[in-house]
Amino acid sequence: MKVMTDAQPVLRVEKLTKRYGSKEVVKQASLTVNQGEIKVLIGPSGGGKSTLLQCINFLVVPEEGRIWLEGKEILHSQKKELYEYRQKVGMIFQDFNLFDHLTALRNVEIALLKVRKMSKREARDRAVAELERVGLKEHIQKYPAQLSGGQKQRVSIARALAMDPKVMLLDEPTSALDPELITEVLAVIRALGADGMTMVMATHQIGFASDLADEILFLEDGAIVEAGPPARILLQAECARTREFCSKLTGLYGEGR
Amino acid sequence: MNELLFIQQDVLPSLMKGLNVSLLLILPSGLCGLVLGVLVGALRVYGSRWVILLTNGYVAVFRGFPLVVQLFIWYFGLPHIGIYLTPFLASVLGFTLCSAAYHSEYVRGAFLSIKKGQRMAAQALGFTKLEMIRTIILPQAFRRALPGCGNEVIYLIKYSSLAYMITCIELTGEGKVIASETFKYTEIFFVVGLIYLMLTTGASLLLRRLENSLRLPGFDHYSL
Repeated sequence: MKVMTDAQPVLRVEKLTKRYGSKEVVKQASLTVNQGEIKVLIGPSGGGKSTLLQCINFLVVPEEGRIWLEGKEILHSQKKELYEYRQKVGMIFQDFNLFDHLTALRNVEIALLKVRKMSKREARDRAVAELERVGLKEHIQKYPAQLSGGQKQRVSIARALAMDPKVMLLDEPTSALDPELITEVLAVIRALGADGMTMVMATHQIGFASDLADEILFLEDGAIVEAGPPARILLQAECARTREFCSKLTGLYGEGR
Repeated sequence: MNELLFIQQDVLPSLMKGLNVSLLLILPSGLCGLVLGVLVGALRVYGSRWVILLTNGYVAVFRGFPLVVQLFIWYFGLPHIGIYLTPFLASVLGFTLCSAAYHSEYVRGAFLSIKKGQRMAAQALGFTKLEMIRTIILPQAFRRALPGCGNEVIYLIKYSSLAYMITCIELTGEGKVIASETFKYTEIFFVVGLIYLMLTTGASLLLRRLENSLRLPGFDHYSL
């Protein structure tokens, strides 16, 4: 057996470019995520982190670039292929985006019923199990408006997990939460990582990132300026801009592990 | 006393007959109008370019032509191309198409008010466009459109009176027949008006109950 094929990346993104008019929001971004790896995107707001993540599952359609999931290239113009691909890529949003008209349970259950066409019984059992996993057993009948921010984000994580994703994209999952609630969401993400979930996460939680990440990518003006293991990026980055940004973040969030 | 006796014995039986016809006009028109309106509203937001153009055109025409002119076209115009509708059918068709045009605007507004994040979350889970609209967007949008759509239903109850212009003798038509026989226009049309008032009041109470039963935590207001 060839050594190279041993570890086939779960997700491979090559030279992704997104333009709005003449402005390039994502510039030739490439990344490779192997099974169980956690890649963290850092960088200033407006640097293209969200857009890059949204390009990866084609919520925003990139002008250029190719994407492979488990070795299979995704052609987003094939509707059926696109819908199947998205089922395998879990997405967590900064502002949760729970379905406002559904209870926590229904939020998790609905895609199982309507997308994966599970039976009612099966979907319910799975949804309850996922909500228990994120510690929300007592709250399954509550509507989003009756939940705290941290609880909402955990419901959204349960909703994504119920689809059995191959990889999860997390777009600043704790940025809309107040400090007290951040911990509970980080704990869930940490547990996911420990379970071997493959993840790409944009975050400003630098302490958390350095604990968890296999690689940190610094994104500025849509381009991946520098990438490497946390210790190097955070402490001795080659690029001056990365160093400056990291030292600011460490000052702000360094304690938030 | 004589007046009351006259109303009770001569006026009310005919008016009840008319009311019956009115209800037969209002119920199917209201229901079909709402369903078609939701469909057109959805197409005007999520349709392809041509579908949007086409449905916008429909709304422009059906909101732009006076309703009575539309009824004349359905009843007196269609026979020229070999289609004969009874006065009743022509009225239901006219009311449905007009009502749907107005409903679609309330529905469109409601669709536009749903935040992009709701759509993105559904898409990220692998929903098809149709399934996303049906199970995620429409249930939320419908709740927001309901007060406006209720308004249109109330309005429909009253413009159903135009059916008598194409010889579908409903409540107003019956009133007009007895009034011209007896010359008691004031009394008769006062009673006719009261009956419409009762219909609209009943409809608004029902609509309010529907609104309340669909109310969600986080969208509630204290009611007086």
